[in-house]
Amino acid sequence: MLRLIQEKIKALGCDTWELTENTTRGWEFYFIRHELDQNRITDIKTYGVTLYRALPEGLLGSASGEISPGATDKEIEKTLSDIYFQASLVKNPEYRLNDKPVVSPELGEVDTAAISKDFITAMAEVKETATEDINSYEIFVKEMTRHYLNSNGVEYTVRYPSSMIEVVVNARSEGHEIELYRMYRSGTCDKDRLQSDIEKVLQYAKDRLVTEPTPKLETFDVLFSTEDSVNIYEYFADKMSSDMIYMRLSDWETGKEIVENVTGDRITMKAVSSLPNSSSDYPIDDEGAAITDRVLIENGVAKNIWGHRRFCQYLGAGDSSIVHNFVFEGGKKTEAEVRTGDYLEVVEFSDFQVDPMGGDIAGEIRLGYLHQNGEVRIVSGGSVTGQMAEAVPTMEFSKETVQYNNFVIPRVTRLKNLKITGIA
Amino acid sequence: MKAPFSPYLEALAPGMKALTEILGRSFDYVSVLSTDSVGFSVSISQRSKNVSGKNMTTERGNVVRVAKNGQYSEYAFNEVPSSIEDLAEEITRELQKQFDLMALTGTKAYETGILDDEALELFVEKETERLPEEEDMKALVENLTALSDRGMEIIPRALDCMLRTSSTHISKMFISKNRFLRQSYVYTEGNCASYAPSDAGEIKFAYEGVSGCCGPEVLSGLSEVLERIPKTMEEVLGSEKIVPGEYEIITDPGISGLIAHEAFGHGVEMDMFVKKRALGAEYIGKRVGSDLCTMHEGALCDESVAAYVFDDEGTLAGDVIEIDHGILRTGICDALSALRLGTKPTGNGKRESFSHKAYTRMTNTIFDSGESTLDEMVASVKHGYLLKSTESGMEDPKHWGIQCIVARGYEIKDGAFTGKVVSPVVMTGYVPDLLGGISMASVDRKVDGNGACGKGHKEWVKVADGGPYLKTKARLG
Repeated sequence: MLRLIQEKIKALGCDTWELTENTTRGWEFYFIRHELDQNRITDIKTYGVTLYRALPEGLLGSASGEISPGATDKEIEKTLSDIYFQASLVKNPEYRLNDKPVVSPELGEVDTAAISKDFITAMAEVKETATEDINSYEIFVKEMTRHYLNSNGVEYTVRYPSSMIEVVVNARSEGHEIELYRMYRSGTCDKDRLQSDIEKVLQYAKDRLVTEPTPKLETFDVLFSTEDSVNIYEYFADKMSSDMIYMRLSDWETGKEIVENVTGDRITMKAVSSLPNSSSDYPIDDEGAAITDRVLIENGVAKNIWGHRRFCQYLGAGDSSIVHNFVFEGGKKTEAEVRTGDYLEVVEFSDFQVDPMGGDIAGEIRLGYLHQNGEVRIVSGGSVTGQMAEAVPTMEFSKETVQYNNFVIPRVTRLKNLKITGIA
Repeated sequence: MKAPFSPYLEALAPGMKALTEILGRSFDYVSVLSTDSVGFSVSISQRSKNVSGKNMTTERGNVVRVAKNGQYSEYAFNEVPSSIEDLAEEITRELQKQFDLMALTGTKAYETGILDDEALELFVEKETERLPEEEDMKALVENLTALSDRGMEIIPRALDCMLRTSSTHISKMFISKNRFLRQSYVYTEGNCASYAPSDAGEIKFAYEGVSGCCGPEVLSGLSEVLERIPKTMEEVLGSEKIVPGEYEIITDPGISGLIAHEAFGHGVEMDMFVKKRALGAEYIGKRVGSDLCTMHEGALCDESVAAYVFDDEGTLAGDVIEIDHGILRTGICDALSALRLGTKPTGNGKRESFSHKAYTRMTNTIFDSGESTLDEMVASVKHGYLLKSTESGMEDPKHWGIQCIVARGYEIKDGAFTGKVVSPVVMTGYVPDLLGGISMASVDRKVDGNGACGKGHKEWVKVADGGPYLKTKARLG
């Protein structure tokens, strides 16, 4: 099929193109308690096509589309013809497709059955009690294969596992029941990590039953110690992306401090080509560029941008790559040192958000531990709000780091003086 | 004109009928959903322009659902071999590998009966003025480019002005032993978004859209939308942070819709009843809102982006009154959950795409209108805010907590707007308090279909929601 599409692109007279065959073979299992609600298999193949054409005044047109494997010759020709015409309408500044050869990594088989078995047995072995247990879970295990080629002769294939499990746990007491939610993404199943985290969530669920209303705190330090922290660190990754910078949604510039007057810990962020057990662990990006290890922010100073090659070239950053795996260095203090004084540790939000563009921080508190005057109170309700531009100069984070799928980040992060809307 | 049903699916139908017949020899229930949906997405801004034949609902593929001994299984694929016998054999062989794993791990089935398969044949082609696959893309790109240019002239401090549009001509075919359903329709949406730096250097957004169960003709409304963006941008640029607290609020139809969606949309998705994840199951027949609170859900409620004829499990679309004058009457239900709960499905079994599982999902979730005017509602507020423009929402069906992030709040004091605008606003609260506090509802109402809805943090589908202006109380931060 790939060769057939290539021939038809050539017949159109198009000499600049990208073609990607994506194949996804997935096994899925949906459980209610520990009984199987439904099992599913997916076997999907698609062909993504982007056609380019040179336009007057140094502009480059491009348009894209998708071809189904069942498409007839006529349908393929119509799709390609439409895309090629549409490319003439899209007038963007010129940029180059990748022309540096890349070497496909060795293609291993992804054993979806074995990974599924690991997830199923891991969940069956989670230590539950009569009052804290698992409500339901959904297991998704995929073998992803991407075969990319472009008109510059760049061609590669990568294959990698990508898994996800969504878990809902319950805790109950005297007729009152609550639930907590987690979604874990990874390459394969890290059984020990998964079990230990779910057991921690079961403890949180137990605590959720005995909360008191969050008091009015005005402003307070908030400590993040769960995967919600990734939202904070994604903000830095997004701000350094060529896409955001070119679109003027980020004003961070290489060689300059990302924020001024820093008194807390300074951010150091690296892009890495490989991060074991990340769900995006492959060394070549979607545009045919090798992903290399690079420092993006060093001690609070922007060093390199990352992102789509089009925007990188527009910004004069040369060839770069799309990055999926990020590693942040730890801070100056240990976790124990960051956890001193008064702070609110929120371990469950309804939906914690850090707006990558405006920097607004927001989330409703479902479960928090209020450390105040030497006491710890378990609280719920109200919300946390703030602004990253105000929080980053004084933020502190631990020396110790932890991996959440494609991010390695400090184990705990403390944002100072966020607004707390209490309900008591 | 009619949105024509896919010739590809017409040609595929005999093969899929044969597949259900062959698999029916080994399984207790068999159905196939086949899809062939074409469309476009076009986004134009000053900095970047993109045109694609792909958007979130374009697809072509099939999903087979089978049941045996109370266990439901699915196989999704998009390559159809010439031999249907070979395909049936492959599906059976591959699913057997999963059954073997179930046996190996000692996994028990959540035993479920056999889905209803009452005989039904249906062929519906909905009306549309235009089709996305026939749209004059040159004219569309030129129009959107002109709008973006105009936006840069009239929107204060604009860093960019983006016009994003998508349109899909959907064709779906459902086949089981006794059912043969075919539908085709078009939905389209578009929005205008601009961003600008505040004095403090923060990026502020102004956003508005158009949508409907219709062709790209609806996009002509974007020029009117664009003219409203400068005023909105001025307001957000001059906005302040709100002083956290409990306030009287008036929600505009968009925020009323967000509340409907998060409060008793997700809260009464009955697949959550099966898992005992929803408090709503215990409140059927009980009061959850004030007398002014009546809420509908269903694909038949409005000709919006979510207005189909049958759902992804072959159940006809419905119009359910979930809350009737404050009393919770029922929820919405997919077919399998209905079977498990001993109730009837409501036509709310939806999939993100053919390759995804069907869940109970919302379609149009809408509050009924009341009898007040907006002026009367504003005049009644001692100190509060008129809330406008959705950023995001999150539900908690187990505890009825709600979190809505709202773009703008317009301060009202002693029955009049003060001119002060706050942004953004996090509205939180307990759903029965929020709905129980509804003391006024406006006569007019509006439904919005821009955006998408996830189940938890995945499974994105198109939905629409709305209602009138509502007056209640909430915590804002």
